[in-house]
Amino acid sequence: MSALHFDTLVWHWPIAIYLFLAGASAGAMFFAVLLKHFVLKHNAYQSGFVQAACIVAPVAVMAGLGILVLDLTKPFDFWKILVFYNPKSVMSMGVLILLIYQVFMFMWIGLLFRKPIDAWCENRFPIVLKFTAWLSRFEATITGLLVIFSLALGAYTGFLLSALPGYPMLKNPVLPLLFLASGLSSGAASSLLGGVLLNANPNAKEVHFIHKVEIPLILVEIVLIFTFFMGLVLSGGQSKFAAFNAIGYGFWGWIFWIGIVGLGLSGPLAMNLFMTATSKRKWVYVAGTACLSLIGVLLLRNFILYTGQMTVV
Amino acid sequence: MENSKRRFLKGTCALLAGASGATLLATVSASNEAKAEPSVKYALIHDETKCIGCKACEVACRETNQVPEGVSRLKIEQTGPYGEYPNQFYHFSRKSCQHCEDAPCVNVCPTGAAFIDKETGIVSVDAWKCVGCQYCIAACPYKIRFINPVTHAADKCDFCRETNLAQGKQPACVAACPTKALVFGNLKDPTSLVVQVLKANPTQRAKVDLGTRPKLFRIVAKSGEVAI
Repeated sequence: MSALHFDTLVWHWPIAIYLFLAGASAGAMFFAVLLKHFVLKHNAYQSGFVQAACIVAPVAVMAGLGILVLDLTKPFDFWKILVFYNPKSVMSMGVLILLIYQVFMFMWIGLLFRKPIDAWCENRFPIVLKFTAWLSRFEATITGLLVIFSLALGAYTGFLLSALPGYPMLKNPVLPLLFLASGLSSGAASSLLGGVLLNANPNAKEVHFIHKVEIPLILVEIVLIFTFFMGLVLSGGQSKFAAFNAIGYGFWGWIFWIGIVGLGLSGPLAMNLFMTATSKRKWVYVAGTACLSLIGVLLLRNFILYTGQMTVV
Repeated sequence: MENSKRRFLKGTCALLAGASGATLLATVSASNEAKAEPSVKYALIHDETKCIGCKACEVACRETNQVPEGVSRLKIEQTGPYGEYPNQFYHFSRKSCQHCEDAPCVNVCPTGAAFIDKETGIVSVDAWKCVGCQYCIAACPYKIRFINPVTHAADKCDFCRETNLAQGKQPACVAACPTKALVFGNLKDPTSLVVQVLKANPTQRAKVDLGTRPKLFRIVAKSGEVAI
């Protein structure tokens, strides 16, 4: 059995990329809201890290949807997903969440940049000012629902796979939580990476805040991965077989131990613990840690998708 | 700040109330639908003690339903030979849609292209509605769905619902079987042959522990591999 081509494989790597991008978008929005409300308050739009999050979130979610559409065997019929809904289908509900999430995402980003938008539109399109003023009346609601929908989107990336009864490794209740946690950390990492690429100060308070949240987040991820595999082993039968098949010897075993556990989790965790929240950060350090996190999450999505489909009930 | 928090909570509560109301309504209308149960529910028995592995069923299915080369709705899987010469034998089992009562493919399909026909209980595909996300293929525990290379839609056995059955004939595989190893009929009709055979023989269904309640029964041959 080859690692990337086998009989029971239905969904290939584009799905993993899509799950990665959707999770990163949700995480970026989640952390942008956190940064604005707990660190920056009113002038949040001037922060390079919040700006990066506001670029990453829409670009990632739309690129992900683009990949999803191209991966259909009938790409030109994608609109049928938007017209017909099946309330029993996790994918159907996920599409709905994605759409609503994007509405709140754009409204929140619009409100975040209200000052510059209003200034630019004042003489050109005065009607926009009325709209932003109207929108800002619902700022609390928009922010709250954005947080809820971003968390829902992050979890959905896992629910999509855990709704497959034919694959014992994927039919796992821990998977949505694991994908949510890793999606949030990928959102944080992409905001940090984007921020320093936009020439934001790598020693800014935003970085310290995110790094402080990242340590418990990575610890939670490690616990969830342990629970995920422990649950499979204790379930016995094909579940146990699937677990050992995935993290044992072979291509995906290397990806798991070196790529995910080593580079993606232990690397950023060690660097975060080594660099305490108070010490001064350099560009290379912030970008490097963020890259490790992103690689880890991308590998995790591919690892779960492929090894999950290797074993059938 | 206090005010905006309160407004957010109010809004969320209203949303939740609306959503739960909608689900409640959906459940009520669903239970109303369930009351009018149709009198037909088709099932198939593959008698492996009679099957000789001639694959006439495969050929008939391909012709009747215009299944393109390279894919198939129905496969006879051969294992063996078992035993010592000259008493050697093969074992044949049927791989095709099991027409689950609680079908994972139908549950996951985002557009409703995969559906259970209410009149007959047959799990079917609306090729027009299908967008080809392959969620159903991944969800099927029996791994019998495929993408039709001509229509680009998900495809599988539908008991010839659109071909032979629509003309009042038996499914092509059943009609073609030379040893009468296939029995097709209405589970709701106590006089039908399928019910008679099910009552007279011990049968098995695949992966019942998943709770999919498949309607493809098999009468297992006495000889054959015993695997644990």
